[in-house]
Amino acid sequence: MLRPTLTLARKDLKLMASGGQGLIQAALLGLLLIFVFSLSRPAGEVVPAQGAAAIFWLASAFGQVLVFNGLYSLEELTGARLGLLLSPAPRHALWLGKALAGFFLLLACQVLFAPAVVVFLGQDILDWPTWGLTVLVVDWGLVALGSLLGALAQGQAARESLLTVILFPLLLPLLLSAIKLTAGVFSGQAPEGYEQWLGMALAFDALFSGAAIFLFPFVYGGEE
Amino acid sequence: MTPPLAHTMALQLKRAGKFFGARPVFKNITCDLPAGQVLLVVGRNGAGKSTLLKAMAGLTPLSLGAVERHVPLERTAYLGHNTFLYHRLTALENLAFWAGMYGLSPSKDELLETLTRVGLARAAYEQAGIFSRGMAQRLTLARVLLVRPDLLFLDEPGTGLDTASLAVLHREIAQARERGALVVWVSHQISEDLARADLVLSLSGGATGSTSGQGWSFGPASAYVPEASC
Repeated sequence: MLRPTLTLARKDLKLMASGGQGLIQAALLGLLLIFVFSLSRPAGEVVPAQGAAAIFWLASAFGQVLVFNGLYSLEELTGARLGLLLSPAPRHALWLGKALAGFFLLLACQVLFAPAVVVFLGQDILDWPTWGLTVLVVDWGLVALGSLLGALAQGQAARESLLTVILFPLLLPLLLSAIKLTAGVFSGQAPEGYEQWLGMALAFDALFSGAAIFLFPFVYGGEE
Repeated sequence: MTPPLAHTMALQLKRAGKFFGARPVFKNITCDLPAGQVLLVVGRNGAGKSTLLKAMAGLTPLSLGAVERHVPLERTAYLGHNTFLYHRLTALENLAFWAGMYGLSPSKDELLETLTRVGLARAAYEQAGIFSRGMAQRLTLARVLLVRPDLLFLDEPGTGLDTASLAVLHREIAQARERGALVVWVSHQISEDLARADLVLSLSGGATGSTSGQGWSFGPASAYVPEASC
């Protein structure tokens, strides 16, 4: 399972990086969101840590939609989805390959978003270990669900709106955890109920990774 | 040691049927397809040839009956209207990717040799997006050859190919049969392709219209009369 997973992820990363398909739009949209929200604060005032955290994760969530639209559209032009389905690779490997590629692309976007939050929203990253842990745990939840629902929306004419409509309500618990944990990173104080928020994010990861492993073969293998 | 595939059953259709809504595309198709044969699937437009091929390949579920494939997915390949190529990858990268998805680790020399077999060695480092239809189809054929399939599905593979490319395709089909592969070949060029087939499955669409009255007929290519069932 590992070999086709890595083969697919490597191919996707190469294509997304070479064409900029989805990646540049995701990065630009996120940066624009952060910049526009920075204009909402009165001059001389600092955006509250929780507000800044919410803006960071909103940018990440929108970026995720564009990333997965881009990733699944790679197979549309020449019908390569059929080729993937015909290959002996387990279908879970396809989900995992797309999720891995999405994970690294989302991280690449966040490498740009983080300094933008520091510069435009006046935040400091005061707790690097928690920051790293939060990003890894929350990003995995984002891509686990994004990879599943991206497959559901692929081939649809209105896939951007479809993906957004079905994805965002499901992401709410994860985004709540992410905002609470990240606010603690920006303020330098662990949020109240730190373990519970982290636990909720981990539970989200486990739940939707499990759901994706079960559902993905049906979702991606559906008839054209 | 894996037994040779020749003279063994490669694929069986058991009362296979497919409906789109209430409309039957084909139904009650039963036939045994041994390895080392070329099956030509013929019929007019809309008769269900491509749908049947996809059902045989496991890409679309049947409404009735069953398909039993006796060849593992690792040794099954499909060449259809879609090329499955990634336009921003080179020919070599495309081949390497599909090899990886089949769990193969061919060396660069082996990949180049496969490209040479289909006459694409000079284009190995060019992106597939700039290929003509014929070149893209040759690269698709190279992708298929890399797998050395024991079960090969072809959906009008000659569409858009020039004479030289057609010759490459026909040579590879013949070699696959000699190797003991079952080739299931959807074709519109019946008069030209019949001579290369061992068996013919003719679809007339739905449940009526064939000489047998059941919408399909199956038999040796030597006994097939095109006008009778198409």
